[in-house]
Amino acid sequence: MTGRRKLLLGLVGVLALEVALALKAKPEIEIGAMPQWRFLLGGHEIVINSRTAVMSWLVMGIWIGAALLVRSRLREVPGRLQATFEFVTEFFDDLISDTLGPGNRAYLPWIGSLFLFLWLSNIIGVVPGLEEPTRDLNVPVGCMLVVLTMVHTSAIRKKGLKKYIKGYLQPFPPMLPLNIIGEMAKGVSLAFRLFGNIMGGAIILLVVSALVRHVLLPVGLNLFFGLFVGTIQAFVFTMLALAYTAVAVSD
Amino acid sequence: MEGITGAELVRAAAFLGAGIAMGFGAIGPGVGEGFAAGKACEGISRNPEQAGLLTRTMLIGQAVSESTGIYSLVIALLLIFVAAK
Repeated sequence: MTGRRKLLLGLVGVLALEVALALKAKPEIEIGAMPQWRFLLGGHEIVINSRTAVMSWLVMGIWIGAALLVRSRLREVPGRLQATFEFVTEFFDDLISDTLGPGNRAYLPWIGSLFLFLWLSNIIGVVPGLEEPTRDLNVPVGCMLVVLTMVHTSAIRKKGLKKYIKGYLQPFPPMLPLNIIGEMAKGVSLAFRLFGNIMGGAIILLVVSALVRHVLLPVGLNLFFGLFVGTIQAFVFTMLALAYTAVAVSD
Repeated sequence: MEGITGAELVRAAAFLGAGIAMGFGAIGPGVGEGFAAGKACEGISRNPEQAGLLTRTMLIGQAVSESTGIYSLVIALLLIFVAAK
């Protein structure tokens, strides 16, 4: 009993110290700051958003390292790490054969790595000092361009160029501009949904953290906006990419 | 006391516009997503072994109906951080 009371007293003390420190500190909100590298290459100025680039390479490095680690010690009876990776692979394999029909294993590496990259990108912000690369609109737009290329290429390969172009003249030829705009709107909404969710969550986190002076409440907010929303949005992005592919491939 | 200048009026209008855009833009997705979740609950209670598929389909539908809300969020962000600079 007395041990528990000591623990409680200690917690209250830490909290009081934190509140006292927080009241002394000056809250400051900085949103939209984007550090950039600028350099000249052949007369053109090249701008790289340095934090986004570093963070996305960090995410890719983590996954490449994990994949190499798992591959280097593949076993007949999987260990804990290998079992996790096998579960993820199997999940997406099932998802693809549910959506596109069986025999479409070729899509697995694309869908799987898209999800893993976006997922880690979305949740990496819960680690202090790191920032989500998807907070920069360029990353979702890049992923969206990959998705659109994949969707239209697989549609052309499956149906043939003539039938693919004919699909734009449905139900009658004057609908061509509307169909093209519809295809573009798919991509735009895909990219902006991810960006808006992550950026909105980040802004709410910043503002609320500054309001309560970084005491206690941001932990729960980080769990919700970082882990929950990040996972859901990464899954939704990949699911929609799959659904668009399924619609484009079927006639 | 000085009068309100034109630039200040523009900033005020931008902030007000951001609030209105977000407020009205949140109504539709809120209603739509709640409706989808309710229907999915009904579906799961009627046939619980399909819970995984229903949840997945519900999430996709919610994400699509959410995009209008996200558009208004982007517009509000633009108004706050770009137009009101």
